[in-house]
Amino acid sequence: MFRTRHLRRAVSAAMAALVLAVTGSACSSGGSGQPAAGATTGVTITMWTRAGTQSQTQALIDAYNASHKNHVVLTVYPNEQYPAKIASAAGAHALPDIFTSDVVFAPNYVSQGLWADVTSQFNALSFKSDVVPSFIRAGSANGKVYAIPHALDLSVMYYNKTLYKKAGLDPDKPPTTLAEYATQARAIAKLGGGVYGTYEGGNCGGCVEFTVWPSIWADGGQVMNAAGTQSTIDSPQAQAVLQVYRGLFADGTMAPAAKQEDGTTWLGALENGNIGIAPGPFSWYSLLKQKGLDMGVAPIPGVNGGQSTFIGGDVAGISATSSHEAAAWDFLSWTLGQQAQVDVIAKASEMIARTDLADNQYAEADPNVLVGNQVLAKGQTPYALNFNASYNDPQSPWTTTLRGAFFGPSLTQALATGQSAITSSLQQQ
Amino acid sequence: MQTTTVSPQDAPPDAGPPAGARPGRRSRRATRRAVSGWAYALPTAAVVALLFLTPLVLVVWMSLHHWPLLGNPTFNAPQNYSELAQNNLLMSAVWFTLRYTVIMTVVLFAVSLGLALLVQNPRPGVGLLRTAYFLPAAVGFATASLLFLGFLSSAVGPVNPILQHLGLISAPVDWISGSPGGALGSIVTLVTWRFAGFNMIILLTGLQAIPVELYEAARVDGANRLQCLRRITLPLLRPTIALVLIMMITGSLLAFDQFYILTKGGPDDSTTSVVMVIVREAFVRFDLGSAAALSVLALVVLLILNVLQLSILRRRNDS
Amino acid sequence: MSTRRTDRRPRTYRSRRAAGKLGYYTTATALAILFLFPLLWSGWASVRTSNGFGLANYRNMVHYGDGIGTYLMNSVEVTALTVAGTLTVSLLGGYAFGRFRFPGKNALFLATLAILMVPYPTILIPLYVLLGWLGLQNSLLGLAAVLVMFQLPFATFLMRNAFEAVPQEFEDSAAVDGCGTFATLSRVMIHAVRPAVVTVGLFAFLAAWNEFFAALILLNSSDKFTLPLAVVAMEGRTFGSIDYPTLQAGVVFMAIPCLMLFLVLQRSYVRGFMAGALRS
Repeated sequence: MFRTRHLRRAVSAAMAALVLAVTGSACSSGGSGQPAAGATTGVTITMWTRAGTQSQTQALIDAYNASHKNHVVLTVYPNEQYPAKIASAAGAHALPDIFTSDVVFAPNYVSQGLWADVTSQFNALSFKSDVVPSFIRAGSANGKVYAIPHALDLSVMYYNKTLYKKAGLDPDKPPTTLAEYATQARAIAKLGGGVYGTYEGGNCGGCVEFTVWPSIWADGGQVMNAAGTQSTIDSPQAQAVLQVYRGLFADGTMAPAAKQEDGTTWLGALENGNIGIAPGPFSWYSLLKQKGLDMGVAPIPGVNGGQSTFIGGDVAGISATSSHEAAAWDFLSWTLGQQAQVDVIAKASEMIARTDLADNQYAEADPNVLVGNQVLAKGQTPYALNFNASYNDPQSPWTTTLRGAFFGPSLTQALATGQSAITSSLQQQ
Repeated sequence: MQTTTVSPQDAPPDAGPPAGARPGRRSRRATRRAVSGWAYALPTAAVVALLFLTPLVLVVWMSLHHWPLLGNPTFNAPQNYSELAQNNLLMSAVWFTLRYTVIMTVVLFAVSLGLALLVQNPRPGVGLLRTAYFLPAAVGFATASLLFLGFLSSAVGPVNPILQHLGLISAPVDWISGSPGGALGSIVTLVTWRFAGFNMIILLTGLQAIPVELYEAARVDGANRLQCLRRITLPLLRPTIALVLIMMITGSLLAFDQFYILTKGGPDDSTTSVVMVIVREAFVRFDLGSAAALSVLALVVLLILNVLQLSILRRRNDS
Repeated sequence: MSTRRTDRRPRTYRSRRAAGKLGYYTTATALAILFLFPLLWSGWASVRTSNGFGLANYRNMVHYGDGIGTYLMNSVEVTALTVAGTLTVSLLGGYAFGRFRFPGKNALFLATLAILMVPYPTILIPLYVLLGWLGLQNSLLGLAAVLVMFQLPFATFLMRNAFEAVPQEFEDSAAVDGCGTFATLSRVMIHAVRPAVVTVGLFAFLAAWNEFFAALILLNSSDKFTLPLAVVAMEGRTFGSIDYPTLQAGVVFMAIPCLMLFLVLQRSYVRGFMAGALRS
């Protein structure tokens, strides 16, 4: 009985795959992907996302399911396993109707053809020009749009006001240069007793690019060319910024766990309340608040002042193999609407994806959220086709580079070899 | 519990086909039996052809193509192979895998043989000891890797407190990700714990096939234990040792689970194995063609290695 | 016999023997504790909570993701299919290889054994593509079929040996009773090879229940995950920290069936090994 049931399931799966292949190719040849009539209500839409942005996605889905006849079902995967899951599911034609992606990985998925073309649907939106442009660029190729913003995140400095007071620092004067950041961190570290000056993901490519690159940008530097094919990490700006962090690791201002931090326990370290000041994702703000910490939020400065941020987070698109394209778009377009952006996302103190809605009542109620909104305009989202393999993967050349820069014998040497290794990874076909 | 216990020693050297065929009727009966034989072997043939031989051909075919996740492959030989030469991660992974294989095989073999010699003779309680040593082998390897993730962790593991109590270390050590040596040590400990009992049992079967009279004769001649081990045990155990070594070497060369779960290839790529690179090529770089090329290379190397091992083994047996 | 001999030896020798015995048992017991310690620690850590001991970690584990029930059922399905498939194929195959002569027999047998020589990942990447073509992508049946293939060399080898070892009279008397070859197998032979069946089944069970790598590559939606995949995913679940106690609860949950089954069937397991090891 076991076997026949499975055989039948296998046969029906084969049939479904066949149908998918046929309809899938029909859609892509049609180019515009016209919504199929009558397919937008009462449909179950499957969706995948990564753990990092789960809470935002779940809040959006709950609000949508409560007010619509369609039903979105979410599956969440651990951050580090998520890209590989997408890849293997794509190869097996087993992608869900919608899947999200870290915005920096989006160009690769677009070039692999994993998302359906939604250009005409997107252009039909009345607010299309107000949607964060760097995210649209990441999800586009050859003038066609494949993915839209889903959950925005920024990198900011968090400083613990309680510890600031204890160390005799002014809790209303966060650092305005990276040098000040280091000085304040060192002052906090003097408190001792399990309290440390600062924290960083010392074994996490994604963490360091998210929190350290903004300082390089603030100083007018770049980490690679605009096309994402040539690394420029061996620059005076990068050298100066990384030198500051290298010093903080060397003299023990960094908590000891930071050296091996691969991202899994990064939030936990800040939640403990024993870190004076550290850069981190803005999306943690509400979590840190829930822990009862009196956290201030400040922009990430450059060595000589200025400020910038890494505009990160997720984009979402409809799988090229989905058979519920119209219903899926119904959900996705709703998530960019005013109701979802303000009453779901802004209400939860998260970053919104539309510039025209920045001055909403929730943002104005919390000065820390305003800091986030202000720095958004100065931020960047780097673009590269081979982003994951070059920067985020644990075996990526960037991870090797940053380890060399922080802990190796020579910072200069690490950046020089790193630049060529990253470039050759970026250029790999 | 079963009267017809299958004991290999009782089995005829090659039972072959039933010899009951009488001249005259022989050929027709033989044909009929050949057809039946094929019918019974058919499921095996189907599985081998579909799930083993077809993928073998396919992997070679894939290695000659640019093979995207979705869409049509395009022929690009020999690009997938030539690009491997520039893969620095692969080079360090090959070097690490070889080093790991040597270390792992030596440690695991020494411990396994030691355990086997320890529980070789029947004494009171020896059954319990064998069970205790073997028990970890019943735990799945992925499960064991997860167990050690906690066991060796500096957050909750008991290892640091115990070593500190004994005065062997002064401060907690981050065994798994603290240093390349610590990471390798963690893996070697895990694999030894999980597989020593398993290999012990195999070695034990070989040990028990050595006639007791040989030892008694040697003892009468005044040989001590070490001499017995060198002159009798090891030479007679050679076929079993060869089997165990082949399994250990192959297993180490293809190691993946323990690195993926425990060290994630780190710190600083110091425990990135060849198989991890294959998986990375396929599912991080989305290059199935390159992963296939690497797989073909691994296959060729392993085949050569196996042929070498077998021929060395055969030559030794002849002499 | 050695003890009998020592009785005639002088007293000093006997006390040295006693000291040796003490040394032996001390070493052996210390090693046994060393081998059992991680298992015991895992069990202890899994019931430890922030305020003493309890089953809170197990409750966490049970409610993980799609619910542990889904993963358990998936694991049970894969395991049942693998055990049934391995037994069916290897029983018939072993019968064919052990008692029949047919053209291509040696070639097929060698091809089956050659599965052992091929690196796991070498074959999984094309299998992943192949299963996609067959419509068996992301399916438990597809995974089970692959696991049967990986079990086949050992299972076929063991079964062939077992069938070869059955005395010819068994088959002859069945033939006299008018049994065809299949009736001979199902009524007579199967009882004679029962120990091998138990060993092969146990091996298939342990392999399928614990499989990680093949499942990682071939399954990709969490509703199809087996227990090892789900528990590995648990490690990265709690954002910001690793939930070690829940992880250990998962470890214990996965290990218990294997440990129980092993302890119950220990003798057949070890005997199956010996038969296989000695032959090669």
